[in-house]
Amino acid sequence: MSALLALAIFAVAFFFIATERADKVRTVLIAAGVMTALGLAPGAAVFFSEQEGIDWNVIFLLFGMMVIVGVIKQTGLFDFLAIWAAKRSQGRPYRLMVMLMIITAVASPFLDNVTIIMLIVPVTVVVCDRLQVRAQPYIIAEVLASNIGGAATLIGDPPNIIIGSRAGLSFNDFLVHMAPIVAVVFVVFVLLTRVLFRKDFEYHPDRVAEVMTLNERRAITDPRLLVRSLVVLFLVVLGFGLHTVLHLEPSIVALLGAGVMVQVTRSDVYETLAEVEWPTLVFFVGLFVMVAGLGHTGVIETIGVWAVQVVGNDYFAAATALIFGSAVLGAFFDNIPYAATMAPIVEELVAGVPDPQTGQALWWSFALGADFGGNGTAVAASANVVAIGMAARTGHRISFWQFTRYGIVVTLLSSVLAWIYVALRYFV
Amino acid sequence: MRAHDIVEGVPTVTADDPVAAAVRLMARTRLPGLIVVDTRSVPTAVLPGTQVLRMTVPRSHQAHPSLARTIDEPHADLFWSELGDRTVGECLPDRPERLAVIAQDATLLEAAALMGRARSPLLAVVGDDGRLLGGVVLGRLLAALSQASPEG
Repeated sequence: MSALLALAIFAVAFFFIATERADKVRTVLIAAGVMTALGLAPGAAVFFSEQEGIDWNVIFLLFGMMVIVGVIKQTGLFDFLAIWAAKRSQGRPYRLMVMLMIITAVASPFLDNVTIIMLIVPVTVVVCDRLQVRAQPYIIAEVLASNIGGAATLIGDPPNIIIGSRAGLSFNDFLVHMAPIVAVVFVVFVLLTRVLFRKDFEYHPDRVAEVMTLNERRAITDPRLLVRSLVVLFLVVLGFGLHTVLHLEPSIVALLGAGVMVQVTRSDVYETLAEVEWPTLVFFVGLFVMVAGLGHTGVIETIGVWAVQVVGNDYFAAATALIFGSAVLGAFFDNIPYAATMAPIVEELVAGVPDPQTGQALWWSFALGADFGGNGTAVAASANVVAIGMAARTGHRISFWQFTRYGIVVTLLSSVLAWIYVALRYFV
Repeated sequence: MRAHDIVEGVPTVTADDPVAAAVRLMARTRLPGLIVVDTRSVPTAVLPGTQVLRMTVPRSHQAHPSLARTIDEPHADLFWSELGDRTVGECLPDRPERLAVIAQDATLLEAAALMGRARSPLLAVVGDDGRLLGGVVLGRLLAALSQASPEG
């Protein structure tokens, strides 16, 4: 009975989150509150149990990275790079798109996708307005590139942070297993954009002079801040790479990095803390309590047992289902709540796998599907929603289908490539 | 003294009015801000002058001072012309501040406290039915306070 009640509360909340009929933070808080009040979520364990409660590693990793990003975004680096790229491209559309995609994809494994989109979209709009070309194709390409690039590392995409923490996978594990296929997918994606956006490429040679008048050097007013923050970011990434050697959780590395960043750049602590996306952190907390309710009432175990029975010994079929199932479900729902819900179910599934390497292959399949599913529709990832909102406010409206018709193609292609990769690397 | 003693009739705009017209109205009447009302004359936003000016700045530059710095002088002078036919409603902040609205029987202390808290030199004064009666502007409030003081 309690399992059914927990499942019903969860389903209603998920409906409101997925359809955006109500504020998602408010929704998870209400659902988490109801689950806790009814005893469906496990009382004090919600705060203190690593398996059955709020995953503080995820919360503090996100918090630390938000502080770090809050300082980096003051440097003007993205404005500098994007204008520099626009000048180098001489207004040639495909060249411009590729350069913007590379900037986005290179940054996205290390910085949160939403922040990158918030930094790159405004300057993209300015450049496109100067060239008198439609900004929508460039914005869509940047979002798709950021979701692909973010899949490469533990910190690049929120589903990876959730999966890494749940599965005990390190930063280097993600680099070794995810980065190679992400690089392949990105290269194929860059080539594909030549075809995908071919009708949108406009070239007005007479407008190039307008771009050349932009002064990218003025974007960076404090070179010392830029250098110091990049050095700290490098050290943080190095810390992630060595976190298993240093015996530090990624969240501790991020928190230490955030502290060092604020000290070294002499940033105002209060201004920097104001940059933290507190509603996002609260959303994660509420989400974890909801999932704890499913775990505590046995829903997750039941689904896990069912999944194990269905899979039997055919783990390649399980990997296939995880890639394509996650891509499809992750495309229609926000991939963050999807990953948070599915992670304990995949954990149950992996627990029944005799060979650890095959078990890990299932985690990678899940991560690839959830990450690439983030490109599937306009609402599949937070970066998509943010980009579309920003585009509309700057007069470059992107409809749900305008985004989704490109997103579906890219998700399908990247999922197929991921499936081939998983098959060749882990099951042949 | 209470708010109804110092309330003044102030021109208002609706969310459907063009931003350019709203800014012109503020410039013409020399008001320190603007009150946005709905069809029932209930205030939906009270915008200090700086926030009205902010509505004229392209969104891409509002949160990005570094990007604004890259714009060359001739273009920087023309940002106003990029407003087009955007409406007040389209340019209002995503998360509006708490409304700078007081009841007609509010004291001068309440009015001054709200003005300071909302950082708004203009307050909307509403009647019991929530409809706008007028506005209290900073200059008028200061004059009333100075009049009321023993040294005044």
